[in-house]
Amino acid sequence: NGYSQETKVSLELENVEMRKVFETIESQTDFKFFYNNKKIDADRVVSIDVFETPVSEVLKMLFKDTAIYSVVRKKQIILKVNPLKIEAPLLLQNSEDIEEEILQRSISGTVTDTGGLPLPGANIVEKGTLNGVTVDFDGNFSMDIANDEAILVVSYIGFATKEVSVGGQSTINIVLQESAAGLDEVVVTALGVKRSEKALAYSVSEVGGDKFSEARESNVANALTGKIAGVNATGLATGPGGSSRVIIRGNGSLSGDNQPLYVVNGMPIDNSIPGGGSSTGGQGINVDRGDGIAGINPDDIETISVLKGGAAAALYGSRAANGVILITTKKGTAQKGIGVEYNGNIVFETPSMFPDYQYKYGAGSNGVKPTTQDQAIEWGRLSFGAPMDGTPVIQFDGVERPYSPVKVKDNIKNFYDVGSTFVNTVAFTGGSEAMNFRLSVSNMDAHSVVPNSSFNRKTANLSLSAQLGERLSIDGVAQYNIEEARNRPGTGYADYNSAWATHLVSNTVDVRNMAPGYNPDGSEILWNPVNIANNPYWVVNKYQNDDKKNRFIGQVNIHYNILDNLSVRGTVSEDFYNFEYKGITPSYTAFRPGGSYESLRSDVSETNLLLTIDYNTKLFQDLSVNAMFGGNQQRNINNSTAINGQQFTIPEYYSYTNLGTLTTTPNNRRTGVNSLFGSVDLGYKDFLYLTLTGREDWFSTLSPENNNIFYPSIGGSFLLSEAVELPKTFNYVKLRSSWAQVGGGAPDPYLINQTYGIVQGGHNGRPVQEISSSLVTNPDLRPYTSTTYEVGFNAKLLDYRLGVDLTFYDRTTTDDIVQTDISTASGYSRALLNVGKVSNRGVELLLTGSLIRTDNFKWDASYNMAYNKSEIKKLTEGLNTVQIGSGIGGGSIQNVVGRPYGTIWGYRMATNDSGQTIFDPNSGYELRSEIMELGQGVPPLIMGLTNEFRYKDFSLNILLDGKFGNSMFSNLAQYSHRFGLTKATLPGRENGLPLSGVDTQGNPYERVVPVEELDTYYDNHKRYTDIFVYDGSFVKLREVVLTYTLPQKALDFLKIQSASVSLVGRNLAILYKNTDLFDPESSYTNGNAQGLEAFGVPRTRNIGMGLNIKF
Amino acid sequence: CDNNLEELNQNPDAYGEIIPEYLFTKSQLDAVNVSYFGTAALTIGGSMQQFATYKEVPAAGDKYFNDGYSKNYFPTVYANAVNDIEEVIRAVSEDPELSNQLSIARIWRAYIFHHITDLYGDVPYTEAGKGITDKIYTPKYDTQSFIYNDMLKELEEAANALDASKSSYGTSDLIYGGDVAQWKKFAYSLMLRLGMRLTNVDEGLSETWVKKAIAGGVILDNGDLAAIGYVDGSQVASRNPIAEGLMNGDYIDPQSVENVEGGKYAKTFIDHLKDTGDPRLNAISVVWVDNGSGLYVADTTTAIQKGMQNAEFNNRPADFPTYSEPHPQTILAYDSPLLVMTNAEMNLLLAEAVIRGWHTGDATTLYENAVRAGMQQWSLFGEAGVIAEERIVSYLDANPFLSGGSLEEQMEQIGTQKWVSLFLDEYEIFANWRRTGYPALVPVNYPGNLTGGRIPTRFVLPDSESTINAANFQEAVDRQGVGNALTSTVWWDVP
Repeated sequence: NGYSQETKVSLELENVEMRKVFETIESQTDFKFFYNNKKIDADRVVSIDVFETPVSEVLKMLFKDTAIYSVVRKKQIILKVNPLKIEAPLLLQNSEDIEEEILQRSISGTVTDTGGLPLPGANIVEKGTLNGVTVDFDGNFSMDIANDEAILVVSYIGFATKEVSVGGQSTINIVLQESAAGLDEVVVTALGVKRSEKALAYSVSEVGGDKFSEARESNVANALTGKIAGVNATGLATGPGGSSRVIIRGNGSLSGDNQPLYVVNGMPIDNSIPGGGSSTGGQGINVDRGDGIAGINPDDIETISVLKGGAAAALYGSRAANGVILITTKKGTAQKGIGVEYNGNIVFETPSMFPDYQYKYGAGSNGVKPTTQDQAIEWGRLSFGAPMDGTPVIQFDGVERPYSPVKVKDNIKNFYDVGSTFVNTVAFTGGSEAMNFRLSVSNMDAHSVVPNSSFNRKTANLSLSAQLGERLSIDGVAQYNIEEARNRPGTGYADYNSAWATHLVSNTVDVRNMAPGYNPDGSEILWNPVNIANNPYWVVNKYQNDDKKNRFIGQVNIHYNILDNLSVRGTVSEDFYNFEYKGITPSYTAFRPGGSYESLRSDVSETNLLLTIDYNTKLFQDLSVNAMFGGNQQRNINNSTAINGQQFTIPEYYSYTNLGTLTTTPNNRRTGVNSLFGSVDLGYKDFLYLTLTGREDWFSTLSPENNNIFYPSIGGSFLLSEAVELPKTFNYVKLRSSWAQVGGGAPDPYLINQTYGIVQGGHNGRPVQEISSSLVTNPDLRPYTSTTYEVGFNAKLLDYRLGVDLTFYDRTTTDDIVQTDISTASGYSRALLNVGKVSNRGVELLLTGSLIRTDNFKWDASYNMAYNKSEIKKLTEGLNTVQIGSGIGGGSIQNVVGRPYGTIWGYRMATNDSGQTIFDPNSGYELRSEIMELGQGVPPLIMGLTNEFRYKDFSLNILLDGKFGNSMFSNLAQYSHRFGLTKATLPGRENGLPLSGVDTQGNPYERVVPVEELDTYYDNHKRYTDIFVYDGSFVKLREVVLTYTLPQKALDFLKIQSASVSLVGRNLAILYKNTDLFDPESSYTNGNAQGLEAFGVPRTRNIGMGLNIKF
Repeated sequence: CDNNLEELNQNPDAYGEIIPEYLFTKSQLDAVNVSYFGTAALTIGGSMQQFATYKEVPAAGDKYFNDGYSKNYFPTVYANAVNDIEEVIRAVSEDPELSNQLSIARIWRAYIFHHITDLYGDVPYTEAGKGITDKIYTPKYDTQSFIYNDMLKELEEAANALDASKSSYGTSDLIYGGDVAQWKKFAYSLMLRLGMRLTNVDEGLSETWVKKAIAGGVILDNGDLAAIGYVDGSQVASRNPIAEGLMNGDYIDPQSVENVEGGKYAKTFIDHLKDTGDPRLNAISVVWVDNGSGLYVADTTTAIQKGMQNAEFNNRPADFPTYSEPHPQTILAYDSPLLVMTNAEMNLLLAEAVIRGWHTGDATTLYENAVRAGMQQWSLFGEAGVIAEERIVSYLDANPFLSGGSLEEQMEQIGTQKWVSLFLDEYEIFANWRRTGYPALVPVNYPGNLTGGRIPTRFVLPDSESTINAANFQEAVDRQGVGNALTSTVWWDVP
């Protein structure tokens, strides 16, 4: 602490009581001593003779050879006892005397904030004495006082100090008010450094861990949805154990990773999806195997704070350009005995979104019903038949059933299970001031609504920390995960996707009649003519798709105080996982009777070595300086082997030794970044702060000649409310601004030099060489830069009842390393170029209000909103567009110069100037337009609204969130239209469909599509993408949590510290949407290509309950 | 601070150096493996009425209903065969000792490009395959006449430069094992094919090159036939790509009454073979018949062979299982050879040269040699492909060369024979039909077709060219003035 180092005293005291020394120091300085006089012997007689000596030195001299040590917190000197030195002399000389002489009676109570939250660590001192205690972790205290006249002085950082008369009370509950002068909210920033909120030049949002463990998502990142301004979290329609897509302040990179860096306790973790994520064009076993963040157990999270701007990047490098999500895990605390906490959670989910289809015309084609079983299969997915009349009609299985509606809602409800998720977490905490620990073990067992699909995650998290004397402390965290998935649901195209048939079977056919999916001879039961459109029961009963991940996340920190104001910290962290996957397309699958095999084994690790040196001092009277310098070495390894093959020689023997064709593909990717960095924080008085940072990175993925870049940042904050006298309405006003630059290397290794692979097995005994990559390698790549500028303010008004936080930002990526599509006639399909320029600018607003506060009832509300405008500024010369993905059945996602990030492109029916449809006289169909933009895939406007009500022991938490302005290309809409399921295909069913417009020469054109050709006509609509592009805006009732906290009285006899039960609901209702066939949140990949829907896992409504008990 | 970083960036599973002969092998494999099922079988095979499918999606050539498949040849061939051969040429150009390797690579390059330009007309040629060396990411399109002139010049120069005293590719050459003399014949054979292509657009030029090619010596004996051998093993890349394409595209499960894309042989083709008593029918065609126990077995009996009508309406015919399919032991065998350039074709081209008066010889003999070669070549496919000599004789007896016929009649006979003899080489069948109009095919007219009921005459350039290489693409489309559609024509395709 700089002040204790800077502040000097002169003492000449001989044989005086220690308390006299304390009083003398207090009189010469602003320091105040706090200690428990039952433990610290203030009557001990000492002598001291110093001249102009720093207080810190004096303290050391005073407590030399004792078990006492001092902790300086701001202007408080807190005296503590080190139990490791318990044998040291003079701990307690005559405690019995003290009790008799001074302390007459005892008092106990609690210290909380106005919201009822305990304030652990608050100080309570009996006025006029040195008698004091510190409030424990749960906000409780007990102490002995002299008499009823005693006045307690209660203080806590960030709150107004309060004096309380004891009177005759034996218990006393003290509520502290937040205060401006004392306001010094501490938030966790980069590298796990805790900093005062007022000194921050950029926007940071912090959310407590309980917000993620109540109404939980299996992937904790999905629970960010709606909670933080400017954080666009999208849950995917891929079932439990799937991944997430989180975008902060827009997409900055044209084709690289746009997701934030996840940091746990100051160190980055890996967020990769083993083998890569599910693809938009997905065929085969196209599943989402879950990202790295999905491995974090919400029960272990103390807080999540989000660093949105580039200012944090100086400390984390290029990956922080997309923002940083800092997760601080729970730690042990010094306490008596062992604390035990149990969290249980059970949630059930059921499908909640059903397409709105037509039920006038049933299965069939050409306006007629099928008459044979073959025909019923041929028309298995067509609903272009006769008017439903309830008479018996043959179906795909040869059985006659009434020609009557079978609602898709019933098919979905009948096919899918009730999904369930059970989570049990037990955590143990304990230890002393010197050494403490927390161990949690957790089991999550999730059964998807898709039958036979499940996901299990077991985590064990051990956190240890030790204070080894005055100067040395160490701490470490180790987490081990075992994640096992069975039959993760397929998404995308028809094969291995049970959502396909359940949503597309003809509207007079009950999906249950397809069960069990296989005939007595073991072959797949056919329901339609396209074999690749699997029988859904075959998918869930016969396919095999299992994976297992063993993951270790560990870190060790050593922190050493060389001097009181000079410290060094070393950290080693490693996130390692081993992943094994095996997928089987079974023998006798109709479209691939021989079956096929795929597998992946991979070892992935991220290792970081970090060393920092921290120095702080005070210049002149009012200028504090904190300087830091450090280095980091980051290494990422991703080694995998994929084994794929087809045609099992012996049917149903699913070993890769039993395959007709076999390929083994190794993939060894290694990347590294070496870095040096530094920062200087300056503080003038308590109202002006300035931060400067600089970092130099060296990237392995670039040529040695241009593999390094230096980038700086500068930021400041100004506390208007401290500097000038503001009207009373304003309790706290802070202005902040920052400018930061980040440099980054190429994301993938081995892209600078052309290489040649050897074709495995050669050809008929001859060796064969191939060109390794379809990408033009580029040795001239240099680092790209991302520059962020932000300005904002936060204010607290009306007695802290209202809070406003507003930020404007501008983020520009230049020289972005882009995989640019090039003409395949060049011999390659893509080139890697330093060309891209992307701009994101926007505004973030957070309003918080304490709307009602009475003794028994409280209503807090929080509204956040963010608008981001992105624009592609530049691509390669001569190139206007980069395709980043394409949907099944059309609809591509492109980055186009002058347009927002990720626009949806496709075709329309061509029209002439007067709006008449142009027909191609050759085909008699509508002419297709040129390819054009049909919408944007990323919502520019997102918002969330949280309401928290508390009445006595009940609390109710309601979260609504919405996204606006984006579009979705729906493959489900396209197919259901082609197959005659949608109401839009009703015109023409009776007498044919009259078409009119002009021909390509501009002459009037008319024709009638006969009923027999109607299916072909509507099928042809698949070419006009825009028919299936929908407004993706929505407002959802995302989360409702009703919690009852059992009163303390009821628990005392059970020896339980606290207990609460909650009823939780997630995704309860869609309050606003513009889609009638699918949930607008139906993305099925977490890649950059957003705005595509294709038969993901049906949207579910989740309802359950939670239990929390602390012993 | 950047020590070790460079080392980290070395891929342990890639080799830093090119070995030209190994990459040449790849270019041979890639040149004949270009999305066969979609482009050759579905698009051309349907148009040329050798294959038929009742479904709409794969009905590219069957119903002229879908142009998607025709777009796939372009990106696949440039990214693989063209890129390989350009790299090989660069690697062997510097060393005079490798002149044979260079010459053979130039001949092979012409073989690769003639397919591309025949399918698409004006295409990138001089600037193609230069993405990594010259950073040409949007290559310009050359006119087809320029490309033809250059390919013919290349063939002549390369054939002249071949030198039997120098080294060659050896066993890395899958076609001739590096035999320089045979490559010379291959070069002149391709020259003959290309020269004859120009009969309608520039007869004088055509005659010049045809004569030059014949003088140089073309493939006339079975022993010089150019073919690539394959194996049926665990490596898909070593399997015959036509067999692999047809199997996985359509015919993977003979025990199912469905085929993946609903494909069969076409009525026109099977009827012709039956009507002419062509013994090749039994080597290439089977009907899967229920043997009474529910197991389908392949039956080559002539009487039951039956082709499916092209452009059946969007319905599976009730008798779908009774139509003919490719023979599982010849065409669908993974270890069957792929014929690259045959003496059957060369004999037919010589016969045409004779009737045009450009070559002295006996057209009847040449025609008969062609028929004989075209039948004997099936023995390369194994036992099931062997056609007895007496059946060849009786076919020729029943279908003699119309030596007294008009030029048109003879052209029709030669063209129709090519349609049968070159079966599977759909690219050449398509080119020959466009040039000569033979065989005479009756177009179909399916509701909603894209061509107005005309048989497609060109492939459609991929959408990516119109967006990524927009300026060059547009210039080429405007220059040719025929649009970018199935109904467009190429330069040499004039009536």
